[in-house]
Amino acid sequence: MKLPQKTLRWATWLGWQLESNWTEPWLFLIYVLVKPLTSSLLLVCMYYAARTATAGAVPVEFLPYMYVSNACYMLVWAVMFGMSYAVISDREHYRMLKYIYISPGHLQTYFVGRAVAGAAQALLGGFLNLAIGAAAFPEVRNALTRQPTEWGWLLFYMGIGTILLIVLGLILAAAVLNMARQGMFLSEGIAGILYLLCGVVFPLAVLPKFLQYVSLALPPTYWLEGMRRSLLGTPPEAMLQGPLSSWSQGEIALAVTGSTLLLGLFGIWFFHWSERRAWRRGRIEETTGA
Amino acid sequence: MRASIGLFLRTIAARAYPRIIGMRRQPSWVIHEAILPILSVASFAYVYRAMRAPEEYVGFVILGGAMTAFWLNVLWSMGAQLYWERSSGNLELYIMAPGSMMAVLAGMALGGMILTCVRASVIMGAGILLFQVPFAPTSWSMLIFTFLLTLLALYGLGMMFASVFLLWGREAWHIVNLFQEPVYLLTGMNFPLKVFPTFLATTAALIPLTAGMDALRQILFKAEGFWPLEVEISLLGGLSIVFLFLAKRLLAYLERLAREEGRLTVKWQ
Repeated sequence: MKLPQKTLRWATWLGWQLESNWTEPWLFLIYVLVKPLTSSLLLVCMYYAARTATAGAVPVEFLPYMYVSNACYMLVWAVMFGMSYAVISDREHYRMLKYIYISPGHLQTYFVGRAVAGAAQALLGGFLNLAIGAAAFPEVRNALTRQPTEWGWLLFYMGIGTILLIVLGLILAAAVLNMARQGMFLSEGIAGILYLLCGVVFPLAVLPKFLQYVSLALPPTYWLEGMRRSLLGTPPEAMLQGPLSSWSQGEIALAVTGSTLLLGLFGIWFFHWSERRAWRRGRIEETTGA
Repeated sequence: MRASIGLFLRTIAARAYPRIIGMRRQPSWVIHEAILPILSVASFAYVYRAMRAPEEYVGFVILGGAMTAFWLNVLWSMGAQLYWERSSGNLELYIMAPGSMMAVLAGMALGGMILTCVRASVIMGAGILLFQVPFAPTSWSMLIFTFLLTLLALYGLGMMFASVFLLWGREAWHIVNLFQEPVYLLTGMNFPLKVFPTFLATTAALIPLTAGMDALRQILFKAEGFWPLEVEISLLGGLSIVFLFLAKRLLAYLERLAREEGRLTVKWQ
């Protein structure tokens, strides 16, 4: 087996063990499901609270919009957090990063492998979350069955999304290589920024105009719009319209591919630069009690 | 007696000191402890704005964001703290020192409360400025009293967690993670509790944040509470006593158990 494949396989195995072997399988399954489900249920409760307060003026399309978007976004969070936390846990907690660095394995591939385990967990949680949402809430069920799922586009967005998330994760992991304890919060910070600016749980039109421009410069905005549209179609409700509503699937696909490519090129350069910098400054074996 | 009270108080002050002084020595907390929560507060505020919900709902989100800071502090800096201390080698020093572990926990709680009050104020201030939500407390004294009582009950729970976490290894990290989102949901962090059926709200009332935030919403926004204000205040008082009592008992029991099982010095689990 070629070395990168071997690295990927063992890093994935290690990541999965770290994620899952701390408890019994039943508790682990609850853990996988509880986090995404409760975060979606929080939005469901907000929707019902607003609907009651406005005497039913909130359109029913709002709920599936938020629910599906939030379920997809969990993947972004899991991959970004998984990769950057791998740097911190291996360097600070297990103190193994220096050994991994000097081993013949490929460092980038190792981080990708560590994130795969978290992504698999998030994917499983996401599917279960959507299934429970469809079973429990008629608004979500009706929206998912109102028109046929665009499977081709869905597969395309899942493929390009995988690349996009890996690139985002590698950029964060590279940044964390050169950071001390603040690195813990970087992925959470970026995840928070993306949650707000990509209009994960609200239409982009609600944001101030200047923030809408920033949001259109972010690849996950297009990815989320593509995922939502493949599963739910174009929202018929005027309240859910945004700057991307008039775009076709092809235009969104082109935007997400182009922006991912640009981000990928930047990511490759940034990772090598950061790795080199961390090596020169002794950051690969630095422990700060994070 | 006098000497032991003095030692107890000195231990509290000594353990609270690094938390408070850390604010000045590590100003980067502003970014991750104040600006980051504002991002999620803003996201949820925009959800209500997009749904054209009443403005007080945006206020609920801002209040929820500020109170989240206390919950996170209780989980990570109280509950999981002894686990981190063990990993960094401090726990054995605490156990060997003449000061009581209860005083160490009280110091952690006091320092955490002061530190988090500053963070929560920043979140509240920024939220009010950004979203222009009008806050008009019906009674300032009642607001302060309810807030402090909520903190007492909450940190009592945190002290209880800390002792339980003494026994855990790597699972501590996952359990803390597991306690975040479900608690945001159960306590009605961003929405009024009346969305819940009575049995669920009553169960959730075991977490001090539930009654605390509902009471604060009643005082700040004249919102309709799930229970009358007096009931919620009595509940918070009761929870404070129960949690502090349980924390003391559990700490003594679990400290002994951890000694017997040799878990006080286990690292890198």
